[in-house]
Amino acid sequence: MRVLVDRGEPFFYPGGDIGCLLIHGFSGAPEEMRWMGKYLAEHGFTVLGVRLFAHATQVTDMNRARWEDWLANAEDGYHMLRGLASQVVVIGMSMGGALTLLLAREFEPAGILVMATPIRIPDNRVERIRPLLPLISKVMPTIRLPGGSDWADKEAEKLQLHYHEIAVRSAAELHDLLGEMRRSLGRVVAPALLIYAKGDLGTPPNAAHFILEQLGSSDKHILWLENGGHNIARDAGREQAFEAAAGFIHRITA
Amino acid sequence: MSQVLSGAEPFLYRGESGVGVLLIHGWTSSPQEMRDLGKHLAGQGHTVLGLRLPGHATRPADLNRLRWRDWLAAVEDGYHLLENASEKVVAMGLSLGGALALILATSLPVAGVVAMATPYELPTQPRLRWLRHLLFPMRPLGNLLRFVPKPTVNDYKDPQAHRDHLGYEVFPLRSVPEVGGLLELLRQQLPRMRAPLLLLHAVEDRGVSPGHARSIYARVGSTEKELVWIEDSGHVLTVEPSRRRVYDLAAEFVDRELERAP
Repeated sequence: MRVLVDRGEPFFYPGGDIGCLLIHGFSGAPEEMRWMGKYLAEHGFTVLGVRLFAHATQVTDMNRARWEDWLANAEDGYHMLRGLASQVVVIGMSMGGALTLLLAREFEPAGILVMATPIRIPDNRVERIRPLLPLISKVMPTIRLPGGSDWADKEAEKLQLHYHEIAVRSAAELHDLLGEMRRSLGRVVAPALLIYAKGDLGTPPNAAHFILEQLGSSDKHILWLENGGHNIARDAGREQAFEAAAGFIHRITA
Repeated sequence: MSQVLSGAEPFLYRGESGVGVLLIHGWTSSPQEMRDLGKHLAGQGHTVLGLRLPGHATRPADLNRLRWRDWLAAVEDGYHLLENASEKVVAMGLSLGGALALILATSLPVAGVVAMATPYELPTQPRLRWLRHLLFPMRPLGNLLRFVPKPTVNDYKDPQAHRDHLGYEVFPLRSVPEVGGLLELLRQQLPRMRAPLLLLHAVEDRGVSPGHARSIYARVGSTEKELVWIEDSGHVLTVEPSRRRVYDLAAEFVDRELERAP
């Protein structure tokens, strides 16, 4: 029997001596980083795209997940790449970017790329009911969220691999993870590139500014994309993001 | 502070042979027990991935949240990672890892399996037999009693190997029925397996008795199957005095796979 959904699997593209660890976002799958992974592999990097625990299987699995599991998955990817590559650059989108930042707190990546990462959950009701979420999830394990799409590339949107509902208990984990991230930014010193999309409806611009400002790194920059929404690695601005990533990696590993 | 226990991290070695070997550790254990086997196979030119099963090498309480489908998902991950970079994938596992390797081979086109010290069912030795009687109320019981001390099934021949072994010192109780559930799936799926199989089992294994290997051998669907008994070793074949023999047998198995037509 297979547990992973179709196209839900992680990916590994062996290449040269510089490793890129790609980390997807909340409720998503490695698939959302795969095009970027292929691009970077074509540019000669060794690429590993991990799958976060309870993702790309069934949404109810998410209720058993803790953010520490996801960080452990990111660490696993980092250790695997360190065995193959003398330098590792960590790249994460949305919650994957939060995991990237926490990884950079403990280890020494050559650099980090953080894309579309929020600093808190957009719906601030979650903040107030956080202590109740474990209990609520026992009677209501999942919830379907209303919300518009900010995708510019509609064809890419159709290929998206994402849970259609939110596992209630896991929202608490995302909340806690983001809190841990906010507190850790000062301890991150790796060279950093942030990429955010102006059309990202779920992530207010102050998130990008907060991270940029709080990061301990001296080498830190931000790139704003004119095209596309939250899903930077798949939407209309992706080519620009891929090029910026490759340029950043070449620069810091030169 | 890192999440994964230092020394217990997963590992990935890249080789040119075209074969990717997936190494799967045992229950409450860690990739550390597979690392020397991994290095040996990498030395033979193979790509090797020693994965870390979820809930392992972090905190014992983590295992109580895990279900066997989580372990299945992780070995599927391992298969796909290797498959991207290899022409053939061989799965090798120790103990519960062996069961996972066998189940993987019934769902995905694994080229061959080496199953070491692999159980066929619960429980595995007399002192643990009481667990079987508790299996039914195990789930609610597991919520009340999180851990039981690991029964001293010390069948290590090498005390240093025992001391060096990185793993949980307790049995997370809620995880026991998950092992039971996985082994039930194993017994169901074994007849469907067709890939070549090598079973390695210690004659003196007091954690998983030799009868388990015989049961797997009898039930597996593969026509190409071999059972080799290992002397001078306890349950953890990969770290015990006969480990070099284990590594050689595993490497020879992969060589036979390489010689086979794709």
